[in-house]
Amino acid sequence: MAPVSVRRLTRRYGPLKALDDVSIEFSDGGFYGLLGPSGSGKTTLLRLIAGFDPLDGGSILIDGEDVGRVPVERRRIGMVFQSYALFPNMSVADNVGFGLSVRGAARAEIDREVGRALELVRLEGLGARRPHQLSGGQRQRVALARAIVTRPRVLLLDEPLGALDRALRDDMQVELKRIQREVGLTTIFVTHDQEEALTLSDRIGILKDGRLVEEGPPEEIYNRPQTAFGATFLGHANLLEAEVEPEGLRIAGAGSLLPPPGDRLPAAGSRVLVALRPERIAISAAAPGSPGILRGRVVQRLFAGSRVTYFVDGPAGSIRVVTANAGDPILGPGAEVNLHWADDAVSILQR
Amino acid sequence: MAGATTRSGMVAALPLLAPAYLWLAVAVFLPLAAMVFFSFMTDLPVAGRTWSFTLSNYETALGGELYRTLLLRSLRLGLEVTAWCLLIGFPAALVLAKRLRGRTREAVFLLVILPFWSNGLVRVFSWAMVLREGGIVDAALEALLPFEVDVDLIYSYPAIVIGLVHSYVPYMVLTCYLTLQAIDDSLIEAARSLGASRLTILRRILVPLSMPGIVAGSVLIFVPVVGSFMEPRLLGGRSGTFLGTVIEDQFVAVFNWPLGAALSFVLLAVVLVVLAVSAPVLRRAT
Amino acid sequence: MTPAARVLALAGPLFLGLLLGFLYLPIAVMALMSFNASPFYTLPIRWSFDWYLAAAGNRQLLDATWNSVSIALASTAISTLLGTMAALALHRHSFRGKRLLQALLFPPIAIPWLITGTAMLVFFFGTGIGRGLHAILLGHVALSIPYVVIVVSARLATFPPDLEEAARSLGASPWQVARRVTLPWIAPGVVAGALFAFAVSFDQFVVSYFLATPGQSTLPVEIYAAIRKGFTPEINAVSTVVIAVSMSLMLLASRHFRFGGER
Repeated sequence: MAPVSVRRLTRRYGPLKALDDVSIEFSDGGFYGLLGPSGSGKTTLLRLIAGFDPLDGGSILIDGEDVGRVPVERRRIGMVFQSYALFPNMSVADNVGFGLSVRGAARAEIDREVGRALELVRLEGLGARRPHQLSGGQRQRVALARAIVTRPRVLLLDEPLGALDRALRDDMQVELKRIQREVGLTTIFVTHDQEEALTLSDRIGILKDGRLVEEGPPEEIYNRPQTAFGATFLGHANLLEAEVEPEGLRIAGAGSLLPPPGDRLPAAGSRVLVALRPERIAISAAAPGSPGILRGRVVQRLFAGSRVTYFVDGPAGSIRVVTANAGDPILGPGAEVNLHWADDAVSILQR
Repeated sequence: MAGATTRSGMVAALPLLAPAYLWLAVAVFLPLAAMVFFSFMTDLPVAGRTWSFTLSNYETALGGELYRTLLLRSLRLGLEVTAWCLLIGFPAALVLAKRLRGRTREAVFLLVILPFWSNGLVRVFSWAMVLREGGIVDAALEALLPFEVDVDLIYSYPAIVIGLVHSYVPYMVLTCYLTLQAIDDSLIEAARSLGASRLTILRRILVPLSMPGIVAGSVLIFVPVVGSFMEPRLLGGRSGTFLGTVIEDQFVAVFNWPLGAALSFVLLAVVLVVLAVSAPVLRRAT
Repeated sequence: MTPAARVLALAGPLFLGLLLGFLYLPIAVMALMSFNASPFYTLPIRWSFDWYLAAAGNRQLLDATWNSVSIALASTAISTLLGTMAALALHRHSFRGKRLLQALLFPPIAIPWLITGTAMLVFFFGTGIGRGLHAILLGHVALSIPYVVIVVSARLATFPPDLEEAARSLGASPWQVARRVTLPWIAPGVVAGALFAFAVSFDQFVVSYFLATPGQSTLPVEIYAAIRKGFTPEINAVSTVVIAVSMSLMLLASRHFRFGGER
């Protein structure tokens, strides 16, 4: 258990920068999710922390110690691979005990620790099985037990749930969170599944083209994205053009001026992009008395049981609106509608 | 790979690679190089003999009527044996890959290629047993036919062909089978659904797609057959004079090593031409 | 099924059966005749082990058999070790010239043994290495190495790279990774490679033929010499033993190595 910090990390593959000047602090005992599309550098970052690839710049500190030149086997990390990488020639118990065994631990100690680890992942009694005799979920647990039994300073998870089906995945998310809490390990995990990242993480970093573009607690980066990429990669967002006026923002075609969101407003006269989450928008049939913020016409409606998604055409372009199905009459295509939202639903994005 | 750059990769790999490649150098590559050298000499470079460089060995090997005839004979033998192996091996591979299933297929496949990995000399010898006068073929025909026959196939050209086909046909089955079984059955089903007959499927789909296997098998058969000497000796008797047997003679009977070396390299040149011509098809397969 | 299709369905297996007959008939005849008391192969067979006993009493054949077995064992041990090392290096490291090194494995396989064998004769003679059992061993190892490298490499190609990384992340040193993860994985490939190497050496005739000397030769060379002197049923007996040994070895190898490349 230790804090990890990476400072100004760079990694090149030929002319390509797989990782470009990335700095992140991973707090002691925290659960940190690295999110990004494929090729964004998230796995590269994980492999650099593990020590599989050499650094081209920057430094990695585990518990204050610069490990840049420490080989993998002496970094005291635990890693769960996407494929699980269980040794096919060993039993479950031998797999889990491998890390202790190569450190020269006594047989009795290995047995005790392996038993405890298998208990933690709820696989008691399966120690004699071979990996090929296990289900996908069980293999995942063995891989986890193997990674934590050596009491590593940091636990690295590379798409740990990626190979599981949806239902098993949801169960394993709960399990993973429980085990991480119990052990209290600093955990860094890579995923391309945004929902998984939001559910599990204390903090999230979003990578794009080798750069860190968003960083913070899940609710903060969801509610107040800094970049257009972050806003659209994590959930859906309507991106609207707006002009800065002295008293607030004007969205094209909007009936009223928006009050300045937050404390920082760019210089008057400049044009900005703002993000607006679909579920923060209220939709109602157009009525003479209530003008709303924007007017528009429903062009498509998708009914999904608990929620309804509308695509509304208006002066600011097409806007996606998601409403909870609370029993209100559902608006059909062609309906003229008013859109409203709270002042703090809008965030100004960096260009 | 895990950070193995060009330079450090070589340094790390060298201690593991050096023993094997040094051994290959001493026992294969240097001998082949020495052979080139020898083929340009008038005599062996041993004490007491004078020698000089010459082209006369190649003049003899390429210019002489005798050796040209032998080369053509060997090439013809190579082509004939390869053709027979293809005619027998491809249909066998087809049945194996597309008709048989599961354990039967595995067992039959193993049975077909098993002889290939057993002693070739002994297998040729066993044919001599069968084909000789008073051997099984002779006895069987005598028993079946009402009139007197005297089959003595041994020491004839057909005997050599039979022995060589027997030796090498498993190669063709192996290479054709590997490419045929990689062809998705749904391709065949698709063709049938489009109204193609069996013959059309064979001609337009199976043969073109298994071409790398056919070519690989043909090369693997043609090359050693052109250089064969043991099979013609044991099964061909007097009619068994080919390039391979003449090369053998230069080394073990006549002791004209420079000429033997030159003849070897004429043979090697043929081999290299065959490999070069077939390389594009083979490369497509990998 | 139409009648034509039924005929075709039968024709395929029948054809395979004929091929198998063609492949095994002469061997079966040879084996049968080795048990026939008549030296002229007359039928019906009068069963006897005389020829086996005669072969067992033939000093020259026994010596040659002993030479063949010991050379095959030594050649297998050396070529398996060197070949496995080379396969590991080629798998693990990337460097300039790697493709050339891989390509160099094919000449010993692709060039007719007649050429390789005579080249060895010439070179060993010229350098003073000479002929004899040591020269035969030198040659056999060289012919076997490419087979070992190719078979072990094929096994290594299926090795999940994650496994070694997982072992290292758990604290295993490079040596521990090799001993506890990599070697157990490639073991079947090494065993199959060793069996191939044994077969290449034990069945090798051409190269041994050019490198043998009268006192120092191998079983196939002696068999060849005996056949050329004239058929004797003794040779039948010895040949039957040789083919039984090599076929059993390959059956054994097939349990470790799928020749067909299928699962």
